[in-house]
Amino acid sequence: MIPEFILRALLASIMVSVLLGFLSPIINTKGLAFLTHALFHALLFGAVLGMILALLLNSYSLVMIVALVATVVIVITIAELEKIGFTPDSAVGITASFAAGLTVLGFGILYKVMATRPYFPLTENIVSYLTGDIFLVSLSDLTLLVAGGTVIFFALLLLYRDFLYLSFDPEGVESYGGNARVYLMVLYVIVGTIGALIVQTVGLITLQVIAILPGAIALMVSNDLRKVLAVSFFTTLTVQLSSIVLAYYTAIPPSGIATIILGIVYGVLLARWRG
Amino acid sequence: MDAVRAEGLTISYGGKSALSDVTFTLEEGKTLLLLGPNGAGKTSLLKTIACFHREYRGKIEVFGRKPCNARELIGYVPQSHSLNERVPLTALEVVAMGGIYRRGFAHFRIPSKVIEKAKGVLNFVGLGGMENRLFRELSGGQKQRILLARALMSDPKLLLLDEPLSALDPSARAEVANVLSKIKNEKRVTMIITTHDINPLLGVGDLVMLINKRLIAFGRPEAVLTDKVVKSVYGPLARVIPVGGRVYCITGDFHIHRGGHL
Repeated sequence: MIPEFILRALLASIMVSVLLGFLSPIINTKGLAFLTHALFHALLFGAVLGMILALLLNSYSLVMIVALVATVVIVITIAELEKIGFTPDSAVGITASFAAGLTVLGFGILYKVMATRPYFPLTENIVSYLTGDIFLVSLSDLTLLVAGGTVIFFALLLLYRDFLYLSFDPEGVESYGGNARVYLMVLYVIVGTIGALIVQTVGLITLQVIAILPGAIALMVSNDLRKVLAVSFFTTLTVQLSSIVLAYYTAIPPSGIATIILGIVYGVLLARWRG
Repeated sequence: MDAVRAEGLTISYGGKSALSDVTFTLEEGKTLLLLGPNGAGKTSLLKTIACFHREYRGKIEVFGRKPCNARELIGYVPQSHSLNERVPLTALEVVAMGGIYRRGFAHFRIPSKVIEKAKGVLNFVGLGGMENRLFRELSGGQKQRILLARALMSDPKLLLLDEPLSALDPSARAEVANVLSKIKNEKRVTMIITTHDINPLLGVGDLVMLINKRLIAFGRPEAVLTDKVVKSVYGPLARVIPVGGRVYCITGDFHIHRGGHL
């Protein structure tokens, strides 16, 4: 009999692999690796803000919702800054530093609010946001991940070709009647939402790696789009599942193992490619 | 009808002028070759006509409309090296891009009508049978012809081409020039082509415009490509030389050549 928490972890892994397996090649081709850096700050800010509100309103489920809203607001701000002429790097730099500053201030407020309340498991929650722990995914977390993830996955799938064209030639999209700015905004919202949905399973620290490397590996080993998507999906899934198995027997955080495995695979491929 | 009309057009970036006080008219069906040194304002003029750049004073009209209201009439062909070739798109997918954005927001599948039309346009530019080749694996001349095919997918009345011959070897330049000639003769599309090397395009161009931050000369090639005009744009070392019944304009790293005599 498989323990229930392992089943939940397996289902969460499959959902994470579907979402990141398809998103990761777009992140690589569109050059959004730096955006995932801003996601880190946005999600952490959202989580801290959510925890303050959770304590004040005595509603623990607010954490994920506030993190999601904060992240979407921040990625839209980045897209708006790009729209008015900032380069993507500048837009991310300005927004991420602003979010980072607010996060530090938020921690100060959080500690003061925590001091006025009886015990509440927020310290553990902060750690799970940073490192991720797929074994701690609750049934309500899993429900939100699967329901939200399914909606976002179909949105991503429907617009996949448009995002490829946007990566290839944004002026071309504009020139032939598409609205490149709207596509960019939608893509950023999808990236932010996926980040917010999966952060509890993979963790903030490793999210940047898991969102980038499977796509980078897939684009390195294949030129065919279908194969790229398949390699990206199966790479993410294999790493997620193997990290669950290893973590179960070694008690090491699974997201840490996943990141190390991906780093080794990418490093070996790079070495072979250069050799 | 006038395809493009500019009156006192001044294009600027952040208040700094890139091209000043340009006035010209281009009739429908004619091809204009736009010449000038680097930084002269060629791409700025092209992007303003295409509605990619909107900071300008004066008047500019495309078929009697403001550029941004005439987008469906315009096909823009960028320099191929400005594209992100990390994206694994096939030749057919690149060409189809020119035919899907007039309808709908999400384009998960390319409609079969668009695929059929894309195959026809690929045949027109001489690349039939290359539908499934990856764009990034094609030669420079083939890529340029793919981009021309993509522009033709929207049945434009005005084609804007930014340096279509840059970084191509002589045979590829001739291939692209042949396709441009075919577009002019068979589809009667008005074209504006920026170029550093006018030589392969003289058979296509009806008019030549020389600019260098302002309009230097505009008219028929034999009237514009004179020693005096070319020196005023490219400096005192530029020369116009008659060779074997043709005229070559030596302008530094490259030369301009026209038919006729001095």
